[in-house]
Amino acid sequence: MRRVLKHCILPGLFACIFAGVLFAQGPGTLVFGLSGNPDTLDPQKTAGTLTFQVVKSFYDTLVEPDQSGKIVPALAESWSVSPDGLTWTFRLRRDVVFHNGQQFTSKDVKATLDRIVDEKTASPKRSEFSAIKEIRTPDAYTVVLSLSQPYAPLLASLASGWGAILPSDLIASGHNFAAEPVGTGPFKFEKWIRDSRISMTRNDKYWIKGLPKLAKVEFQIVPERAVQVQGLGVGSIDALEFVDPDDLPILQSNPKVTIKKELTSLIMVMAMNCSREPLNDLRVRQAVNYAIDKQVVLDVAYGGGKIGSTFLDTGNAYYTDFSNLYPYNPEKAKQLLKDAGVGNREFTITVPQNYPLHVKAAELMQQMLAKVGMNVKLQLVDWSTWLSSVYSGGNYDFTVIGHTGKLDPDGTLAGYGAGRYVKWYNATVDAKIKEATTISDFAARKKLYTDALEIMANEVPFVYIGTSYRYVGTRSNVFDFRMTPNLDTFDFRWTEMR
Amino acid sequence: MNFIKYAAKRFLRLILTIFIISTIIFFVIRVIPGDPALVIGGVDASPSDIQAIRAKLGTDRPLSVQYVEFLWSILRLDFGRSMISDEPVISLILQRFPLTFTLAVLGLLIGILIAIPLGVLSAVKRWSGWDYLGLVFSQLGMAIPSFWLGILLLLLLAIKFPIFPLFGADSPAGLVLPALSLGVGRAAILLRHTRASMIEELSKEYVVAARAKGLPESVIRYKHALKNALLPIITIAGIEFGYMLGGAIIIEQVFSLPGLGRLFLYAIYQRDFPLIQGGVVFIALIFSLVNFVADMLYSIVNPKIRLE
Repeated sequence: MRRVLKHCILPGLFACIFAGVLFAQGPGTLVFGLSGNPDTLDPQKTAGTLTFQVVKSFYDTLVEPDQSGKIVPALAESWSVSPDGLTWTFRLRRDVVFHNGQQFTSKDVKATLDRIVDEKTASPKRSEFSAIKEIRTPDAYTVVLSLSQPYAPLLASLASGWGAILPSDLIASGHNFAAEPVGTGPFKFEKWIRDSRISMTRNDKYWIKGLPKLAKVEFQIVPERAVQVQGLGVGSIDALEFVDPDDLPILQSNPKVTIKKELTSLIMVMAMNCSREPLNDLRVRQAVNYAIDKQVVLDVAYGGGKIGSTFLDTGNAYYTDFSNLYPYNPEKAKQLLKDAGVGNREFTITVPQNYPLHVKAAELMQQMLAKVGMNVKLQLVDWSTWLSSVYSGGNYDFTVIGHTGKLDPDGTLAGYGAGRYVKWYNATVDAKIKEATTISDFAARKKLYTDALEIMANEVPFVYIGTSYRYVGTRSNVFDFRMTPNLDTFDFRWTEMR
Repeated sequence: MNFIKYAAKRFLRLILTIFIISTIIFFVIRVIPGDPALVIGGVDASPSDIQAIRAKLGTDRPLSVQYVEFLWSILRLDFGRSMISDEPVISLILQRFPLTFTLAVLGLLIGILIAIPLGVLSAVKRWSGWDYLGLVFSQLGMAIPSFWLGILLLLLLAIKFPIFPLFGADSPAGLVLPALSLGVGRAAILLRHTRASMIEELSKEYVVAARAKGLPESVIRYKHALKNALLPIITIAGIEFGYMLGGAIIIEQVFSLPGLGRLFLYAIYQRDFPLIQGGVVFIALIFSLVNFVADMLYSIVNPKIRLE
């Protein structure tokens, strides 16, 4: 018995263990560390960033942003908009097939758009398509959208993850896209073990010839930050989308890891509830702005970035700098607080605890506000509570949050001036933002947005902390991993492992 | 006849327990702040979009209607669909259950394998080197948080000496370190109880009588005393096992394992009402059924219980 144990069972057991470790991934496979499990893989039933980051590889959109953020043709090889802005015509590519073998035609575009605007789908992005009055398909490769009113942001919606085109026959048969995505994208869905991993293989019939270069991508869901970092360090993970600034020293000292620093499209803010006393007093909001050293907050909490001065990401083409308005000046802050008679009143910064960077930023700002004599305490809440109580319920004084960038400024600005969660009302701003959606000329739109953003910069319903950097970590043999500008989705089409 | 009456009574109690638990969880998750429609819609959805999502989820209807519907579905053992992922709750739970079950069994097995021999040795050789070793181990085992031990094990056996995988449970090797991290904590608790229980048994009169009869010491210890000493240990092990079936959230998080703990944790974060309800009822059902079966077995072995 002992012999059997010694010569057969034990070596066998160890062989199994080692084989499991060594052959977990095949050659040409990129293992991507994902911090969470996407809620669903259906691009039209969620607003979750994780979903869009993953499904970007399964689907294509009619148009898409290039690396500079400019919207360029994708499934549509060209498009035109009538002078009155009411008729949009898209000419489709003829060489595209879905993963299930179905040829891509105008029928699919119509079925997809119908699905989004159908109330039964309950898409969180439905409003973005509500200007579409009619969808016509004069032939298999032409789609004509008739709008009820001119609506320039539509192009950005069509280029975003939720504009993903689904095959019409599967829509008709009620296919479960949430669990089994089928698109025209560079990779075909293979398997999803919830909370563990998502595998995808190259789509050999992808319409951009020669792409994608990788044979396989595996999203490994690793929630623990320490494990992500160690995994990248030893090569169990080939790429990480987000490296916490605190972990940079360990990874930067590893010669087999490359860290790329890029400006995100996030708008980091401390929002103020302008309907509450004394934050409804402009002087108090100005004092809070003078009291915050934005660069310190960015550097210490967010790993650096460019300070902001109004409600748009600093790299945005529509951004205008107003940073001369409220430079760091604690003395001026004290004076303004005194003038406004704030006294020892207690304020609360409510922060979602699932974002450790925002918590750190809130702690810093709490200290900075204490220095000018404000009595501020910190309250941590979970994400759902934050959404319902703070964001939707308006039950807060201050909150720290990062707004994700959008392809079109309307995605960021719509509704401000008309009482979105900061409860700040300004009819001029509201009117300018609305008017800008009806114009497609860049210069004319920029003029309107600049006017609105200047008022927002002056009246400060927020402390505009700025736009942070992102640190993307890859193994040194990974080349050309891209993140889509503004959308922050993963683009593996050009990625190679050498 | 007596047995049938007793079994029926117990079964009614089980139904009542499940009913009370489902009612409590139904209302608790709706009283605390949070709205699944806002989680799905995110910060950019318009109020009309959020309203459409609520209508689809059915959360816009009166609470009483939702409650009756929920009770009716529980009666049919239908847990509904997840609000967030739109997948059937029962299939989400059953996908995770095998892993959590295996992990709990392995964790308990490791716990028992360490605790019982060391606990018995501690009791038999009181205040010897073995006893001190046992005491130090149980003190450490209880003081060290399992996530910390987990990270240490990963650093040593997955990074420094890459014997085990860093994450996931694709191969059986992936379960070794998590089971070990879980088992050490269980072992520490069980060891304490084994030692105390064994010491108590060894001081009882039947042991003195056995010694007087001239029975060998090994027979007294391992055949008579240990058998009796193990009874309370089995009860405690059972409770520990039940606790681990609910998912060892922290261990699953550290080792990136797709178990029940993480499923339920995120369900709570996202206010996924059907999934939280289904999870709680599922676990309560398993607990109650195990208890029910144990009660029945007890009453067969010891018919006196039925009369009490």
